[in-house]
Amino acid sequence: MNDASQLEVPLGDKVLDRDTSGPAQREGNSDRLFQYGVMAFLVILMMMMIVPFWNVVAVAFSGPIASMARGIILWPREFSAEGFRIVWVNLNLQQAFINSVIVTTIGTVLHVALSCFAAYVLIQRNLPGKTIMLVFILATMAIPGELIMIPLYIVNKQLGLLNTLWALIFSGMISGFSILLLRNFFAGVPYDLAESAKIDGASDFRIFRSIYLPLSQAGIATIALFELVSRWNQFLPVILYINDSSKYTLQVALNALVTENLGTSGTSMVTPNVRMAGIVIAILPLVILYPFMQKYFVKGITLGSVKE
Amino acid sequence: MLRHTTRTMRSHAWLYVMILPVIAYFLIFVYYPLYQGAASSFQEFKLLGTAEWIGTENYLEVWQDGTFWQVVKNTLLIGGGILVFGFFPPIMVALALNEAATLLFKKLAQTTVYLPHLFSWVVIGGMWIFLLSPGGGLINELLALINVGPVRFLTNTTWARATMIGLPIWKDMGYAAIIYLASITSINPSLYEAARIDGASRFQQMYQITLPLLKPTMKVVFMLNILGLLRIFDQIFVMRNPVVQGGIDVIMTYVYDMGIQRYELGFASAISVMVLLTTLLLTAIVWRITGFGRDD
Repeated sequence: MNDASQLEVPLGDKVLDRDTSGPAQREGNSDRLFQYGVMAFLVILMMMMIVPFWNVVAVAFSGPIASMARGIILWPREFSAEGFRIVWVNLNLQQAFINSVIVTTIGTVLHVALSCFAAYVLIQRNLPGKTIMLVFILATMAIPGELIMIPLYIVNKQLGLLNTLWALIFSGMISGFSILLLRNFFAGVPYDLAESAKIDGASDFRIFRSIYLPLSQAGIATIALFELVSRWNQFLPVILYINDSSKYTLQVALNALVTENLGTSGTSMVTPNVRMAGIVIAILPLVILYPFMQKYFVKGITLGSVKE
Repeated sequence: MLRHTTRTMRSHAWLYVMILPVIAYFLIFVYYPLYQGAASSFQEFKLLGTAEWIGTENYLEVWQDGTFWQVVKNTLLIGGGILVFGFFPPIMVALALNEAATLLFKKLAQTTVYLPHLFSWVVIGGMWIFLLSPGGGLINELLALINVGPVRFLTNTTWARATMIGLPIWKDMGYAAIIYLASITSINPSLYEAARIDGASRFQQMYQITLPLLKPTMKVVFMLNILGLLRIFDQIFVMRNPVVQGGIDVIMTYVYDMGIQRYELGFASAISVMVLLTTLLLTAIVWRITGFGRDD
């Protein structure tokens, strides 16, 4: 894309010489140099992000012996999908994958539904007790889940939820953050619309279903996608509440696989292609989802910078 | 008046039904655990049978525990490192994205930089354990090209700490960059127009208009990152190994080890209470400085 114009760009101290040679000249050349600098920076940055993943994929598709050999692997050596078969069938990652799908699906649906309900209630005008409920919900945002992991473990034990997928579904099922974000979306729906529906005799729930939900689709999609990702990546709750390996989710099963020190255990020899195949399986659903998220994630992040 | 209120409440009964699960959930999974945690910190748990009240003994034990102070030090070192060294990269990324020549290139770069943030620490940690391995990992193979290494990134305490600082910066750079980018987009274009007329170069515009106007966002991001400091868990849990564990274990991994692995629930709760109180105090300070929560 850069033709001869690139040759015109002065380098080194010549730039400084040019800088004093007049506004018009200075603008053109230094701007172009600046542009190239920016491009170079971004290209290096993209490589820093992509090359590690590229390497992982290349190793995942390599043969078992070839994946252990030294050297930079940027293309599968002795191409083979053997790693995927071993990790999926022999190491039974499929069970963990299914558990993750169950927890993610149920968890996300409940999260979105309950957040919508709460957000709708919290935008009502003149509802007795609204302020108290709002404070009650917002205050939970000051308490990060990690910091109460021990009492949460005790509570789940008291409720008999340990070693059940329900413990994982309940963990983070509702967040003040999502409710607040949806409440902002709902507040953007003209209140007059709801008011006139009410005069026509529509019930509160009817107004919620027929006016608020359809008009807040972008907000609901944002919440759903972010919840989906964080559900899929859920880790701490699983190692807190689950002991039974048949109930492990993908992340925890994968953790046992990829963090084991290479070759030190002696009992099992899991070759790199198998480990990397596990990683590819874990990121694949998110990679597929990513293009659909694009539309919403900038909005979600900027609205939700409170969360992290 | 009271009758009127009751009537309003009854006519909106559905609304209360709708919010009931949320209220119940927070009572059971946030407020009750808060009480439970505070209570446990004054109790000793037996493997069989119930807990026994022992006063402030757990707190004294924590205070006198050498490992506790070591993990506090590790948390401050690693968390502080992320805070300091992770501050400028997202700003640079956002500025560069903003200056990208074409929209397509900008979109592509933004998508790529955000990618690692999408994945769990198990994925990122597992991947980097492999990439950083001294026996054939990509990074050491690259270093070998310039005759450096092999570096024991994860079995030497200093290197392991540096890695624990570097990786989250790499992972979350794109995330923070988007916050900055959004704030850049909201800058009034006429400022740049005026600067152009005065003959300012693109670089000067960036340095003298964009950057100063990002200051409020920088403050917010920095403050929020302080709150994240004490919560570091996943990355350490996934990437630690017995060789460097003493040097990179943080408060939260210690809480997990003591509470869940060793079943010292009272001791672990006492640490949790202290961390939680510190966090609440920091949150209050942060909210005051950044002006959060003022609109509600």
